[in-house]
Amino acid sequence: MKIAYYPGCVAQESGKELDMATRWVCRALGIELAEFPNFSCCGSGFVDEANEVLNVAINARNLAIAEKAGLDLLTICSTCQGMLSLANLRLKDPAVKARVDGALKPLGIEYRQTVKVKHLLRVLTEDIGIPAIRAKVRRPLAGLKVGAFYGCHLLRPADEMAWESGEEPHAFEDLLAAIGATPVYYRGRVMCCGFPIQFVKPETAAGIAGRQVLDAKAHGADAMATPCPLCHISLDAYQNQAAKAVHRPLDLPVFHLPQVVGLALGASPEEMGLPRHLVSTDSAIAKISSVPAAAARP
Amino acid sequence: MAASTVAANFDVFRFDPARQVQPRYQRYTLELAPHTPVLTALLRIRAEIDPSLTLRYSCRSAICGSCAMQINSKSRLACQTPIGPEVERHGRVVVEPMRNQPVLRDLVVDQASFWAQYDRIEPHLKLDPAHPMPEGRTTSMTPEEVDRFKETPRCIACAACFSACPAVEADPAFPGPMALAKLYRFVVDPRDGATQDRLVRIQPNGLWLCLRCHLCTEACPKDVRPSERIRDLKEMAIAVQGGTEHGSKHAIGFKDNIVDLGLLNEMKLVRQTFGVGGMLGQLPQGLKIWRKKPEVIRKPHRIEGADELEKIYAELDKRSETPK
Repeated sequence: MKIAYYPGCVAQESGKELDMATRWVCRALGIELAEFPNFSCCGSGFVDEANEVLNVAINARNLAIAEKAGLDLLTICSTCQGMLSLANLRLKDPAVKARVDGALKPLGIEYRQTVKVKHLLRVLTEDIGIPAIRAKVRRPLAGLKVGAFYGCHLLRPADEMAWESGEEPHAFEDLLAAIGATPVYYRGRVMCCGFPIQFVKPETAAGIAGRQVLDAKAHGADAMATPCPLCHISLDAYQNQAAKAVHRPLDLPVFHLPQVVGLALGASPEEMGLPRHLVSTDSAIAKISSVPAAAARP
Repeated sequence: MAASTVAANFDVFRFDPARQVQPRYQRYTLELAPHTPVLTALLRIRAEIDPSLTLRYSCRSAICGSCAMQINSKSRLACQTPIGPEVERHGRVVVEPMRNQPVLRDLVVDQASFWAQYDRIEPHLKLDPAHPMPEGRTTSMTPEEVDRFKETPRCIACAACFSACPAVEADPAFPGPMALAKLYRFVVDPRDGATQDRLVRIQPNGLWLCLRCHLCTEACPKDVRPSERIRDLKEMAIAVQGGTEHGSKHAIGFKDNIVDLGLLNEMKLVRQTFGVGGMLGQLPQGLKIWRKKPEVIRKPHRIEGADELEKIYAELDKRSETPK
């Protein structure tokens, strides 16, 4: 399949390892990524707070770029997924559509609302499919207990996103089971990582991230995995602050979604950019390396 | 013909803080039709098995808002939640008190903090002398003006949103979704004369602590959609006051960043939000991240076609309607 690749800002800057892992996994699964250097940021929820119509308009421009190429759009970030989907939804309101069209038209841009916005998690579980992924596993993550951490905007508001349940999703856990890991169910998996107020009240944001990591640990997780690079910043890059806020050591490795898939499909830790993480992933890698690859093949 | 029944296991939170050091979960098993509400099951447990089970309820019709509790970790009205899907998905029904409020006994919580936050927003009309009630009319609103309230008048103050909110959990300063949805209702009321003052006063340690995680909108039994109204309040607060808080500065800075470059520049944004002085506080953590991820410090990159974003913004600005 061919799809318009929307990497988002973070995967092009501090979250470069997410971009590396996504490209590796898509290559391995035959997903062709079409690239568009004129994609802008999705606004990350902050532009929506400042100016709702502007947020819809910048994303209508992004969607129009994919539409012109006749492609659906792939996101690798829960927030990008949420903001681009929100634009599609808000454009159903004729008053919003008229204002946005009015701003795009002088630039010769038209968006006819035909583009589907799909997160990598959905492409892997629906378009590629669990059986196809299971068949390609070369190194099952046997023995590794992983707590999925979804990220709010992939799930909610659920009536508007209409893909997964907003409070009881299962796609990520299904995928983790398919690659041989043991999914860990904990309340925090659908909670917030605290990122949106990282710049408002850092100590509160750190406390929120810390609670979710503690919850995953309390349920036996050896690692967490997230489909959102903003959650990854809160849970990995700021995990030391989170530990301070909850007054407990955390030291829990946090993977990006395509990293766990890539590792199971045979990628090396370096190919997945794991040395770039702030919290070492060595303990998790040691667990999966101790299982002989051939013996554990499903 | 009676519907077929299921053997449903209930694990109910039991705690009397005055006499016990820690809570326990008590298992009750009942044969019930799948459409039976959790509240009905709890009342049967109390009537037939254990009269000491303590809970709040009144109308049994999702109107009074008394029976909010956690059902399999979701904040719900017990009278409105059938047991069938819960048993199917979880194999049992775990019933616990609401979160973010201290337990008084079993499923009953102390709601003082919830109501204190409600009082904080001054939930009454402050009549605008310039907009008096016409003689002989009880309302001076047009149907279009009433529409501006959106779904907020449906709120039954059940506190399910307050229980589900991670910002409330982490920071007692946050007013919570219900209080902010109520605030919205007064801010858009054409009869209210204190709109600007309300928008100014809710910002410090208030409005900008919302995480926009939408867990409140998910929990709300009346589809009030608090998270979406909180977003509206943020845009209105910026319109009234510009960037005064870290939250509003960040939103404005982010917007300017995108309109200018098309992409986010992480360094530039931190400077816009915290100022040069505030950036120093971020420095130790920034260096730790930079050692692993050197891309955090790089020259601002402009996307191809960034000028289009400026033009879109200018065009929208030109046509913008003036808010109330």
